[in-house]
Amino acid sequence: MDCREFRREAGADPAHLGEEAAAHRDGCPACAEFLRQTLALDDRIRAALRVPVPKRGRAGRALPAVAPRRWLALAASIVSGVAIGSLLWVAGPRGSLAEDLVKHLAHEPGAMVATEVAASPTTVAEVLDRAGVRLRPGVGVVSYANTCPFRGDKVPHLVVQTATGPVTVMVLRHERVAHPVQFDEGGYAGTIVPVGPGSIAVIGHQPAADLDAIARQLSGAVEWIPGG
Amino acid sequence: MNAPFAGKRGESAFARLCDELRPDLYRFAYWLARDRDVAEDVVQEALLRAWRSRQALETEAAAKPWLLTIVRREHARLYERRRFETVPVDDLVGSESPELGVAEDQETLHVRRAILALEDDYREPLVMQVLLGHTTDEIAAQLGLTRGAVLTRLFRARQKLKDRLGLAGGEEE
Repeated sequence: MDCREFRREAGADPAHLGEEAAAHRDGCPACAEFLRQTLALDDRIRAALRVPVPKRGRAGRALPAVAPRRWLALAASIVSGVAIGSLLWVAGPRGSLAEDLVKHLAHEPGAMVATEVAASPTTVAEVLDRAGVRLRPGVGVVSYANTCPFRGDKVPHLVVQTATGPVTVMVLRHERVAHPVQFDEGGYAGTIVPVGPGSIAVIGHQPAADLDAIARQLSGAVEWIPGG
Repeated sequence: MNAPFAGKRGESAFARLCDELRPDLYRFAYWLARDRDVAEDVVQEALLRAWRSRQALETEAAAKPWLLTIVRREHARLYERRRFETVPVDDLVGSESPELGVAEDQETLHVRRAILALEDDYREPLVMQVLLGHTTDEIAAQLGLTRGAVLTRLFRARQKLKDRLGLAGGEEE
């Protein structure tokens, strides 16, 4: 083996030299130095390749219990020609946040009902205040307000009566999403939008476009209290 | 037939295995896609597919190459379905974009930038070899190439990196 052949081999797989190449290295200081530099380069490459790994996806765990419908939803959205702007469709896997939200709704099945009866303003204010949040007037009748345990946190769980029916609103200070996320999970539709340091989730039975409009309105009405 | 991931106990074992392998799967997906969000999507979808087919896996040792294959296929499938905006690497670097990940130091960022700029044909086998520890034969089988073609790509990948990093010792082909 000559130097050229050695460098071809070592340049392709420096960590696994064949017998001939190893023998050449032992007798050729220049090629031994070439190998040393190539292995040093590999160390640098390896360090660069080890990009930080996100903890557990943007909104979920790795193995959800339900089958994904995200790409079906994506395909449907394309076929229907509905402009969804920068919304990202998810329904299931990455959306285990979505899954958890829907599971939470199942614990309080009587909350999301159509009614004209508003919850006590004091209760609503207390629930929001505990989470360091205010809701500007004009979002509609809040018919239910509770502080609920959710993913290790205590979060406001509201039901807001809208023109298209009741929606559940969860104010998630500690759940960040990079983009608005739509989901279709467990018979519910929902939208999670980034707001302030966290996000809000709006869940209901309305068409996605209606939920988006409601989410936009609500996100403009949420005011985070500094230090809250 | 052995089925180490069948039944309830198998479910737990498979979930644990996926947790252990997730960093490698994510990094592989990231270097295929060069996009963190896409990489997360790919890994999620790949794990779901794997979960549904886990009982077919006969040995635990086969899990990693099997999962990496699924990630690779899922990445290709994703690109068949979606068109992504191409972002020049320089733009990513210039804006300290999270697409590059958080570089621990300027040296790492410099090398990461050079790797990102490699053509897919060179970057992918390099990632498989240096990051994932695949042998030349394994890479050849994964990529559907001959052994010689893989070695040529690996050699050229390193040559290109040496050039881009301004390192001496580049070897004429």
